[in-house]
Amino acid sequence: MGILGTGLQDGLLLKPIKYQWAMDLYDQAVANTWFPNEIQLGEDIADFKKMTDEERHAVTFLMSYFNPNELLVNKALAFGVYPYVSAAECSLYLAKQMWEEANHCMSFEYVLETFPIDREAAYNSHVDVPSMARKEEFEMKYIRRMTEQTLDINTIEGKQDFIRNLVAYNVVLEGIWFYSGFMVALSFRQRNLLRNFGSLMDWVVRDESLHLKFGINLILTVLEENPEIQTEEFADEIRQMILDAVEMEEAYNHDLLPGGILGLNANYINQYVKYLADRRLEELGFEPHYKVSNPAKWMATANDTLELVNFFESTNTSYEANASATTKAKAE
Amino acid sequence: MAITVVKRNGQREPYDANKINIAIEEAAAGLDENITWVTQIASELELTLFDGITTQQLDEAVIQVALQNVKDDPAFDTVAARLLLKTIYKRVLGDYTDAADLKRLHKEHFATNVTRGVEEGLLDPRLTSMFDLDALAEHLEPAHDELLKYIGVVTLNNRYGIKGRNGDALEVPQYFWMRIAMGLSLNEANPNEAALKFYEKMSSLEYLAAGSTLVNAGTIYPQLANCFVMEMQDDMEHIAKTTRDVMWLTKGTGGIGLSVTKLRAQGSPIRSNNTTSTGPIPFMHTIDSILRAVSRGGKKFGALCFYMENWHMDFPEFLELRSNSGDPYRRTRTANTAVWISDEFMKRVQNDEPWYLFDPLEVADLNELYGKAFSERYNEYVAMAEAGEMHMFKKIGAREQFKSILISLQTTSHPWLTWKDTINNRALNNNTGTIHLSNLCTEITLPQDEDNVSVCNLASINLSRHLLPEGGVDFVKIAESARLAVRQLDNLIDITRSSVKEADFSNEQNRAVGLGVMGFTDIIEKLGYSYESEEAYDLIDEIMEHVSYAAIDASTELAKERGSYTNFEGSRWSEGLVPLDSIALTEADRGMEIKVNRKTRLDWDAMREKVKGGMRNATLMAIAPTASIGLVAGTTPGLDPQFSQIFSRSTSNGKFLEVNRNLVATLQEKGLWEQNREAILRSQGDVQNVAGIPDDIKAVFKTSFQLSPYAFLEVAARAQKWIDQAISRNMYLETRDLGDMMDIYFDAWSRGVKTTYYLHMKPRHQAEQSTVKVNKAEEISSTKAATASTSTSTAGAAPARRGFGGFAKKAE
Repeated sequence: MGILGTGLQDGLLLKPIKYQWAMDLYDQAVANTWFPNEIQLGEDIADFKKMTDEERHAVTFLMSYFNPNELLVNKALAFGVYPYVSAAECSLYLAKQMWEEANHCMSFEYVLETFPIDREAAYNSHVDVPSMARKEEFEMKYIRRMTEQTLDINTIEGKQDFIRNLVAYNVVLEGIWFYSGFMVALSFRQRNLLRNFGSLMDWVVRDESLHLKFGINLILTVLEENPEIQTEEFADEIRQMILDAVEMEEAYNHDLLPGGILGLNANYINQYVKYLADRRLEELGFEPHYKVSNPAKWMATANDTLELVNFFESTNTSYEANASATTKAKAE
Repeated sequence: MAITVVKRNGQREPYDANKINIAIEEAAAGLDENITWVTQIASELELTLFDGITTQQLDEAVIQVALQNVKDDPAFDTVAARLLLKTIYKRVLGDYTDAADLKRLHKEHFATNVTRGVEEGLLDPRLTSMFDLDALAEHLEPAHDELLKYIGVVTLNNRYGIKGRNGDALEVPQYFWMRIAMGLSLNEANPNEAALKFYEKMSSLEYLAAGSTLVNAGTIYPQLANCFVMEMQDDMEHIAKTTRDVMWLTKGTGGIGLSVTKLRAQGSPIRSNNTTSTGPIPFMHTIDSILRAVSRGGKKFGALCFYMENWHMDFPEFLELRSNSGDPYRRTRTANTAVWISDEFMKRVQNDEPWYLFDPLEVADLNELYGKAFSERYNEYVAMAEAGEMHMFKKIGAREQFKSILISLQTTSHPWLTWKDTINNRALNNNTGTIHLSNLCTEITLPQDEDNVSVCNLASINLSRHLLPEGGVDFVKIAESARLAVRQLDNLIDITRSSVKEADFSNEQNRAVGLGVMGFTDIIEKLGYSYESEEAYDLIDEIMEHVSYAAIDASTELAKERGSYTNFEGSRWSEGLVPLDSIALTEADRGMEIKVNRKTRLDWDAMREKVKGGMRNATLMAIAPTASIGLVAGTTPGLDPQFSQIFSRSTSNGKFLEVNRNLVATLQEKGLWEQNREAILRSQGDVQNVAGIPDDIKAVFKTSFQLSPYAFLEVAARAQKWIDQAISRNMYLETRDLGDMMDIYFDAWSRGVKTTYYLHMKPRHQAEQSTVKVNKAEEISSTKAATASTSTSTAGAAPARRGFGGFAKKAE
């Protein structure tokens, strides 16, 4: 039996583990457990107050987008992924991922509570701002196919819908849209602003990197196990989804930064979006489409390297929670 | 789109690329001519521009663009540092044309700016009354700023430079160094002469005073001491007094070590109201909150480390203080923790024997005892407990507790392990009572009591500035730096003030100072040694012997000039003992060999005679972490290894990329840098698996997690031979195996190392990288291939993954 299924009694027992990658991701995800209150966000308030209007708008806009969409990912998982995955190790990982999305939601709530942001306006943006609403509707379309229509996971069309939803929430939403937002969020720390918000984002990015690994693995596994769903037409459709997603993101980024802030403007972010989209295309087996360079070289500092924390001054975000799990107890 | 720039006066002007180009060209003067500095920086800058950018934002944007290229060539750091310095010069001194003009402005404005600082009540009035400012200004050397790296300029500017009441920056870096030098010469007969000597050393980064001194010297509130060591007594008045003292010391930027061992346990009886105690944990939470309340502008917090002996009944809860979950009122999120461990405990771990926890109320004398005397008394209490004569006790396995400590260390990096008997037995100032704890950074080992809050004053020699041009270490210059640093530290004691009278008292009576070093890894890399080589071990041994010899000698000379410290009589110094002699004393008391090499090179018999005649200072040496001043010095901190060859550093001034310049220079020499730099970044600064790098280079450039943890202990043990206090020994581990950790920390004790400090665990998972090529589908297939032989999973047998590759139309 493959990774897909609907039998309620499938996947009630963990061993033997068939998909070791899912188990490894679960173990790592558990070790990555963190809580927003470990970060003292209050220290950033002074920064937030001295930032320009456009900078504050950008942070608010990001929170307005991230906050509902973390929970939207959970809906995509709950309605479109969890019910159709039979392996217990995958269910374990998905359960942890769903808690992480909840934890991210609480983190962004913490930001909304701490910074002087108008919560109601922030909450309404995902409906009121057309470029944001459009991205959400894109996601909804694919989740709806998994729920409101009768989906049979044993059919080619059912399996293709499963992949469509996965690409929509995992590759597009988490892998492109969130990632471009992370770059913007982390850019403030490069200017010594919102350092603690930056630490919070480090943790979110660390989680999301695992979500992406899981999603890409799941897509590739389903494709391998079900060669019959792979058609040229379907491949074209998936590729087009990603190109459409880039276009939606471009419009959104012009609303995120209508003018510009130190070091960033909408065109700059959009070049980064295209750079990311090419990476996702390649991971899915497509050729790159945009072939642009990464404008944000500073992400090497912000994200790509091991971090040495002067722990009197900054939160060490590299710690892991489960030491006892690795005891060999050699000394006995 | 036409881009306009908003000037300071609010007027707009069209963006002038030429102006920026000239600035970049100047900042790149003298650097590698093969790099098209102007083209690269200017074109990347244009990506980020927007209409309405201010001139100030534009300055910052150019610097940020230069900085983002440091990953490809560290020379971009030099460009960024020069650009930032230029903005500082302009802000403090106004516009200038060239280097000569800049030097002239430095001279002209010095007296004015110092006078303004005094008039605004920021600087000590004696700076204008005691010094000839114009004569001092003649010696200001702006060229010394070239020694600073970008992070050094940022740190000096943001943390240490004085600002006027209206926020105007009053100091360029050279003004800052001169002000610190003046602030440490106030007690000298010839203050101008002394200030110039100190200025020369510090501005050329040969040694640096520690953080609190750099923040406060020459100011109206000269709280210059770095470390305070105190304990809470088991009564409400003293708990309140300690709370008050923590507030004042925190305000003055001092780091605090605070022992809570004496507080009675949770559930212990309180006679006055016939109830029971809540134990020490809630009081620690209170102190923890204070550290955040008394912060500097919400940015730099108070810093404190709690110490507890591990026989305390509440020790299991002490281990939970830094946990990220649980009752927040029983946690200390800001304060650090350290455990104060006896030889008795280590022996019980070795022999797999039981360990007993007691209520301090019933075993009040234990905290005052150490070594054999502690063991004897502890065993008496154990016998009483077994006989049913103790009101409260708990019996657990010694190994079980040792493991709990190490699990907590691995997951929360606390508590740090420190060994009380090694510390007390190796102390030369053992005539002023028991040492009950170390300090915030585990390098200070001073006795204290209710009447003495012990104080230590620190400085560090920058070894990177003590290499001979022809190679090798300049021991003559090291001795000279050590001697002058000891004089500067001794001055500090007479100048510093705190708001805690017990601290001022202890400072006067003991005059304890701690001279350390930084840049050890930087110099061994330059000399081509691996951190884990015999050459490196011998070198730190030899360097510390010279530092120690010169520092002790300087203190004996100061004793002749200024008199011995009050508590000198009865100290081991007065008996003619030097730090090396403490090893044998410790061995005798422990009844076990201390595993460390005993080689000496200098005439210590002569020094033994000399110290008998008098010492100016109760202690002389300690190796501090130098986490902040190491940035100013632009070298590797303390004895720390290279964290990684490329890594980022998070400080209160932001996040900075650090590329090991020694590695880059070595690779550039062989023409190997450009072709390998992306691979090095991809591996997060690990060169061991980069195919194009020769093995001899790989051997010298291991990351902190690749070095044997025993190398950290050997370096510490060899340095400890010569140091009368201790060492902030940071540890780095890749292994998460508790058996390995038990062996490593047991070994630290066996080698006579007094303390260990922060433990850095190698993270197993990092976020997806942005600036290097990533393809997870490829990663997955390669891990699969690697695990295929050990895994029976059928999914593992699948071929390399192609996703939609077989079906997608080729682009174009």
